[in-house]
Amino acid sequence: MNHLTEEQIVLHYYGDAENSSDVERHLAACPECHAEFARVKAMLEQIEPLEVPEPSAGFEEKTWLNLRDRLPEKRGLFSRLFGARQKWALGGLMALLLLAAFLAGRFSPRHETPITARSAPGNPQRVVLVAVGDHLERSQMLLVEIMNADSKGPIDLSAEQAEARDLLDSNHLYRLSAKQAGDPQVASLLEQLGSVLTEIANGPSEVSPGDLQQVRHTIQSESLLFKVRVVGSEVNSRARKPEQTPGAALNQRL
Amino acid sequence: MEVTDAAVVAQVLAGDKNAFRVLVDRHSRSIFRVVYRMTGNQQDSEELVQETFLRAYKNLDRFELRANFSTWLYRIAVNRTLDFLNARKTHMQTKQTLQIADQPDPEATNQVQIAAEDPGPDRLLLSAEMKRKIAGAMGLLTPAERVAFTMRHMEGRSIEEISQTLNLKVSAAKNSVFRAVQKLRQQLEPYAGPGSRLASRGGVGAQS
Repeated sequence: MNHLTEEQIVLHYYGDAENSSDVERHLAACPECHAEFARVKAMLEQIEPLEVPEPSAGFEEKTWLNLRDRLPEKRGLFSRLFGARQKWALGGLMALLLLAAFLAGRFSPRHETPITARSAPGNPQRVVLVAVGDHLERSQMLLVEIMNADSKGPIDLSAEQAEARDLLDSNHLYRLSAKQAGDPQVASLLEQLGSVLTEIANGPSEVSPGDLQQVRHTIQSESLLFKVRVVGSEVNSRARKPEQTPGAALNQRL
Repeated sequence: MEVTDAAVVAQVLAGDKNAFRVLVDRHSRSIFRVVYRMTGNQQDSEELVQETFLRAYKNLDRFELRANFSTWLYRIAVNRTLDFLNARKTHMQTKQTLQIADQPDPEATNQVQIAAEDPGPDRLLLSAEMKRKIAGAMGLLTPAERVAFTMRHMEGRSIEEISQTLNLKVSAAKNSVFRAVQKLRQQLEPYAGPGSRLASRGGVGAQS
């Protein structure tokens, strides 16, 4: 009978041996290997997990204070990705900016939202729903512009930055409202959205095609655009739903 | 609702350096425990915790926001500790070449002196006598073996986690753990009494 190797025995102790059922069968049938396994087990069981002492008092505070001054300043995501760029502007870039401004105005959701849903006197819940729906549509538009921006030559994102800054303030308020209203789905989305808006707002205004692609990747990696679309659609649907009873809207999650 | 680690990372990346403190407060103790098990020294461990966070901060833009921050930080801590142990070993070899023997003699007093200077995590183990022997044995493992053994034996990490953390193939991670145990047996079983195949035949590597 071939005995087990030392490696098989050691790895079997940890449950890491290949063909563990074969090893198990062999141990059951071979007294010598069984005894060897018992010795390995006894030896390893003497080496107990360490008791770790508590770190010194105020450990977290001390760690942070020692660390704080050694941390270099972080620039925003855009700055890190794009670095300093020459401040020259091309005619084509101006045209692109004009086109972006035109599209933003043309498709602004502020002109598309039905009046019936936007004006809901006497129903604060619906007003909040409408406002959040508008906010998500504007955010969606911003993300779409970034995702679909012409990626030839340097790209001016100053308009998108201004929009992001504008959205940030309201995003914070809506996130708090959603949280207080017990709507974790919307609150969570607004939290993710807030992070991206912060990065866009704090970034440089001029980017290269490759850099823009990385920004798109950041948005895509969180499936943010998809989530904004889905949740925005749901919120708008709830806002437009006719009131069936006086308390119906209050029973909605937001 | 507590802000997620990923959200805090995004905040730091957006330029809010002070937000990093949230991550330090949340994770420094668990990282301390990990590092201490590998170094066995409180002061070294506290300094390594700082180094871990510093390295994490500098590489924060490589962190995937969908990943688990504590797992990412753990990997940095283990690798930073491994670097530290390697550097310490090199320093010790330069300083006391005779005390780091490839084929250690458990009776050699000079090797015990290494354990006394570099006791590793062994101070807290069992009886004083067995503790001393385990300390001597652990001190003779290579840093990679020591880290792999600590992760597998003391922390219960899987072979897959060890291989990913140390950037090793699974077979290499298994081999590191095995070699560590093999060396520990060579050091400790002579004290465990007769009957061991290892003691009687010098090892069980060959099939009979």
